[in-house]
Amino acid sequence: MPTGLDKLQHIVVLMMENRSFDHMLGSLKAVNPKIDGYVDGDPFTNPDANNNPVKPQPSAKFQGQLQPDPDHHFPAVDLQIFGKGSDPHSNDRKPNMQGFVASYFNQQRNLAHSQMIMYYFPKENLPVLTTLALEFAVFNRWFASIPGPTICNRAFAHYGTSFGRVDLNPIYPPETIKSVYSRLINSDPKRTSKVYYYDTTSSTMEVANLLQNQPELFGTYKQFLEDCDNGDLPDYSFIEPNYSDHQGDSGALIANDQHPDHNVRAGEKFIAEVYQAIKNTPQLWESTALLITYDEHGGIFDHVPPPSCVADKFKADGNATEVGVDFHFDRLGVRVPTILVSPWIPANTVDNRVFDHASIPATITKFFLGDYSADRSPREMNADIFIEPQGPAVDPARNLLSLDVMRTDCPDFDV
Amino acid sequence: MALIHVPNPPKNAYDPDRPMGSLLKSQVEHMREAESKLPLRYRQQIEIYIKAVRTEGEAARYIQAVTRAIHLAHEDAERERLAPKPAAKPVIEIAAVADEAAERKQNRGRKRPTSKSKKGTGAKRRKK
Repeated sequence: MPTGLDKLQHIVVLMMENRSFDHMLGSLKAVNPKIDGYVDGDPFTNPDANNNPVKPQPSAKFQGQLQPDPDHHFPAVDLQIFGKGSDPHSNDRKPNMQGFVASYFNQQRNLAHSQMIMYYFPKENLPVLTTLALEFAVFNRWFASIPGPTICNRAFAHYGTSFGRVDLNPIYPPETIKSVYSRLINSDPKRTSKVYYYDTTSSTMEVANLLQNQPELFGTYKQFLEDCDNGDLPDYSFIEPNYSDHQGDSGALIANDQHPDHNVRAGEKFIAEVYQAIKNTPQLWESTALLITYDEHGGIFDHVPPPSCVADKFKADGNATEVGVDFHFDRLGVRVPTILVSPWIPANTVDNRVFDHASIPATITKFFLGDYSADRSPREMNADIFIEPQGPAVDPARNLLSLDVMRTDCPDFDV
Repeated sequence: MALIHVPNPPKNAYDPDRPMGSLLKSQVEHMREAESKLPLRYRQQIEIYIKAVRTEGEAARYIQAVTRAIHLAHEDAERERLAPKPAAKPVIEIAAVADEAAERKQNRGRKRPTSKSKKGTGAKRRKK
């Protein structure tokens, strides 16, 4: 029997900023025990500077708490994952997620302040994200691609690799590995794709593509809303939030990327707007899947150790990692909240497979281009896909858009 | 399912004078790289000294200026690409020019006609 997968024509990815899974969605374990979050009484703690255990607390605030911005560069994330006293030169160390408080303490030497890194949001404070997680599919094992900051992690979503970078430096990829957008717009038959940044003032974090593929590839969020209304959404869309407080054409615009210390509620509203823009257009709603994810954890606690993975063909040397040891991209970053939305997904779906942002170009390429033979990174080639290709050979156990009748009970938000 | 209320952020959440964080700093640096690749006439329109950029609002103004310049440069290039090209000179005209040159060679030394000679044929005047 045909399922929702057969109706799928558009995939939209919305990538937010710098929040971990437990921080945003951990509270949902109390509602659905299949969700691998945190409930009071779970044994997970982190030692503070005096070696006293610090428990996660449902005390996260929308703004004003995570100042300074928690460190999430490679050395800090190494400490967060492996704990105090771990030697990066050791081959047999195991990730224990014991260094979040220690890492935040390093920034201000303030014991009470360092404990805030263990705060999470109660479910009712994030009505958009938690509702979508419970109503559609939530991924228990979606990790950042690198234990490092934004730009290199976002690169994995665009290219399936960061070309050896673990930092915030500009990424200028070699000609051989194309971005997922270039693959689509240069395919035969041609596919359509767009990166929608919020406005020209917020712009994009994907400067390499901005330089190379203007004006075909880029649009603003306003254009995304118009494209939804007019039924002109491309095959694949990637949406970037507003990264700064600034004056826009319509007045003061609050950053909605949720990057600490930007207001989390502004991000909730933005996520709801994107969702409603798709849902309010019936032909789009039945033919679109929306993936909501975060680029990395932003230095905030999570209890699930990131697994190792196949090495990339690039490496970052000891100077680049700043821990004196080469990194072969053979380990994932910290877990991030990720949700797949479609009216063909049963409520309360929880997926336990391992994904990272390399799964985005892997999925998009497989779904829209089939067997793509041009150069791709080993990380992308080995990444799992979250939407199966259409066709008679679909494995029902892997198909998240599995319903054969479209749901009519999906939530609506007042945005 | 009932309509779910999404609270607005408070008005005081807006602070364009907030010092820019490491992500915005890196975006500004990326934009600086992008700016350096633009032709001079687009760079001249930006007029913001990035070393003086400190706040989110200032970063946003710079990012907007470079993004607009990149758009403009691509739009201009596209316009130029699509503009009608001047038609190549037909062969017959080239032949005519060649004939004219031969004629001029033949007429060399003869008395010039009283009317002005044609310009733009490529024939050089002999120096006196």
